[in-house]
Amino acid sequence: MTTTADRPTRTGPSRTSKARASRLRRRNTLVGWSFILPNFIGFALFTLVPVIAALLLSFMRWDAYNPPTWAGLKNFQRLLGDDSFWTALRNTALFAVGHVPLTLAISLGLALLLNQKLRGIAFFRVAVFFPYITTLVAVAIVWNMMFDPSSGPVNQFLGMLGVAHPPGWTSSTAWALPAVIITSVWKDMGYYMVIFLAGLQAIPEEYYEAASMDGAGWWNKFWNVTLPSLRPTTFLVLVLLSVQSFKIFDLIIVMTEGGPGQATTVLSQLIYQQGILQGNFGYSSAIAMVLFLIILLVTVFQFKIQQRRER
Amino acid sequence: MRFTRTALAATSIAASALLLAGCSGGSSQSSDSANGKTTLTITVWNYKQTPEFKALFDAFEKANPKITIKPVDILAQNYEDKITAMLSGGDSTDIITVKNLTDFGGYVSKKQFQPVDDVAKKLPADKIPALADYKADGHYYATPYRQDFGVLFYNKTMFKDAGLPDPANLTWQEFAQDAKKLTHGTKGKKVYGAYIHTWNSMVQGYASAQAGRSLNKPPYNYLSTQYKTILGMQKAGTIMKWGVANSQQVSYQTELETGKAAMVPMGTWLIAPLLADEASGATKIDWGIAPVPQLSAGSPITTDGGPTGFGINKNAKDTAAAKKFLAFAAGPEGAKAVASIGIVPAYHSDAITDEYFGLKGMPQDDISKKAFNPDVIKPDGPTGARAAAVNNVLNQEHQLIMTGNKSISAGIAEMNKRVKQEVLDQ
Repeated sequence: MTTTADRPTRTGPSRTSKARASRLRRRNTLVGWSFILPNFIGFALFTLVPVIAALLLSFMRWDAYNPPTWAGLKNFQRLLGDDSFWTALRNTALFAVGHVPLTLAISLGLALLLNQKLRGIAFFRVAVFFPYITTLVAVAIVWNMMFDPSSGPVNQFLGMLGVAHPPGWTSSTAWALPAVIITSVWKDMGYYMVIFLAGLQAIPEEYYEAASMDGAGWWNKFWNVTLPSLRPTTFLVLVLLSVQSFKIFDLIIVMTEGGPGQATTVLSQLIYQQGILQGNFGYSSAIAMVLFLIILLVTVFQFKIQQRRER
Repeated sequence: MRFTRTALAATSIAASALLLAGCSGGSSQSSDSANGKTTLTITVWNYKQTPEFKALFDAFEKANPKITIKPVDILAQNYEDKITAMLSGGDSTDIITVKNLTDFGGYVSKKQFQPVDDVAKKLPADKIPALADYKADGHYYATPYRQDFGVLFYNKTMFKDAGLPDPANLTWQEFAQDAKKLTHGTKGKKVYGAYIHTWNSMVQGYASAQAGRSLNKPPYNYLSTQYKTILGMQKAGTIMKWGVANSQQVSYQTELETGKAAMVPMGTWLIAPLLADEASGATKIDWGIAPVPQLSAGSPITTDGGPTGFGINKNAKDTAAAKKFLAFAAGPEGAKAVASIGIVPAYHSDAITDEYFGLKGMPQDDISKKAFNPDVIKPDGPTGARAAAVNNVLNQEHQLIMTGNKSISAGIAEMNKRVKQEVLDQ
């Protein structure tokens, strides 16, 4: 009897406390959701819904005015045979391949250089950051003039160095993309330098002291202390840079409009051209889906690599 | 504690609900029939800098005191995009200003305009040649108020100094020869004989108009003659290189006004700003207009150009008032209003020409008057539903030919192939 009498007293409190705990958890969740809600509604309205709409549209034919008609996989079939798409895809990839490592290396280099206790260092940091806060349109127009093939300062400088046939830059199909890459590296390096600076300043001084005790030189300290400690920062910069590179649009529109010919036409510009300018919203959504997949794959790949390294 | 949390949650929900409500609201009622007055809404670009709109609206309101016009101002660079977005959203602005024939093709193929056959049929078609450009599938979908066309702007003093007669009736060959004689100086002080702007229409438009061909579909082989002439001039250094003009974003107006180029083929829209700069003292050059150079000597003066007009939105609130405005703008009264500020109206008559040449600062010579009345005006680019897509290809290949990245024949072959594959076959 005692056992039966005992049982409720033993299990009773724990059951009610479990129920109370779950009620508390539920309420906390609800409160949490309600805090996220305003932001989420914004996200859903202006990002999630359009993304889903674009996905659906990529299987349709739509001029943005008359009712859309189902097109099945036709838009994607058209993609495969469209030279303009392949050109834009190649240009986008080339831009990323040029822009990502160059910006990464230069901004890291600048951060190392400017991470010193020196009189007036703040001035130099500001100077490097300045291009980032300059209006993109102004940057593009000024660089365009600097790259002027006949009388631009860039080619005049090259001429002074003894280059007999300097490149035609924005008027040459071979050099237009490098010109755009140089401009975008110059504009972005300051921003990523600031991120690297923050990362550098978070590295404990003791590591370097310990390394010095072990007789490590500058290179060894950089390779064995700085770089490994910076890994999370580098990863962040890498992801941000890659996404930014694949989405590149504004700079190209102002600087070359994708020209000469299609030498600098990138995917996002093709999406704009096909959708907004020519009214093929279905086809332009199909291109957008491909771009989305590429960015997704690249980012997932980078995350996987990072995870493996951390383990 | 619990109270504050619930209250917080409630406020955040209320706030987001407000946000949502804010998004869905904002439809406006434009007509106000209570006092017998009607408001007509019309899309325009850069209202302050484009005085023709105000001139036209003021004149119309004066003639129709019961109708007030409310302009919907849009940034010129984003005009096409913004109209696309507006019309897709079911916007009910009464009248859409049609900037060019390329856009017109888009509006018609998307069935965004009402047919305006009744307005068009009451207009004197013989006096408004551009009216025909707005006919599609047997119906009129817009009416013009303005028609610009290409003429040759030239610097009279520079011609005198070089001992050349005024360019009354040139062929493109003679144009190139004159340009050679007018070119002098080097480096920063170089004066070019002519300036050819970077647009593809500057080569392709004249070539197709004068060859009697259309840019709507291939073959484009007839363009090669004109490309040879212009590339030849580029090579001879008598015009600025395309790549330089493009990377420096050269302004054709500045080239003419500062005497850096003696001849500039350009649309008649350049007249109004020239007159304004003359009046303000910003430029002191003695300029005139001549007929645009021709493919062969002795042929009727053929140039390219395009109308600007008004179409009525399918969702318009007040179609009757809108039609009244279209008829007014296309007819003599509208023409008088725009001509008075240096804009070339779509409606042609001797009275309008006199009005136009009566403007302060207009050149008064016979060549200029002749240039103002060309025999034939053809579209300066592709037209129809696929116009934007065709023009995109033509422009890309134009850039490649002008920058020497492709030979003329390779560029034209690519135009033939791509327009078919990327546009017409889709």
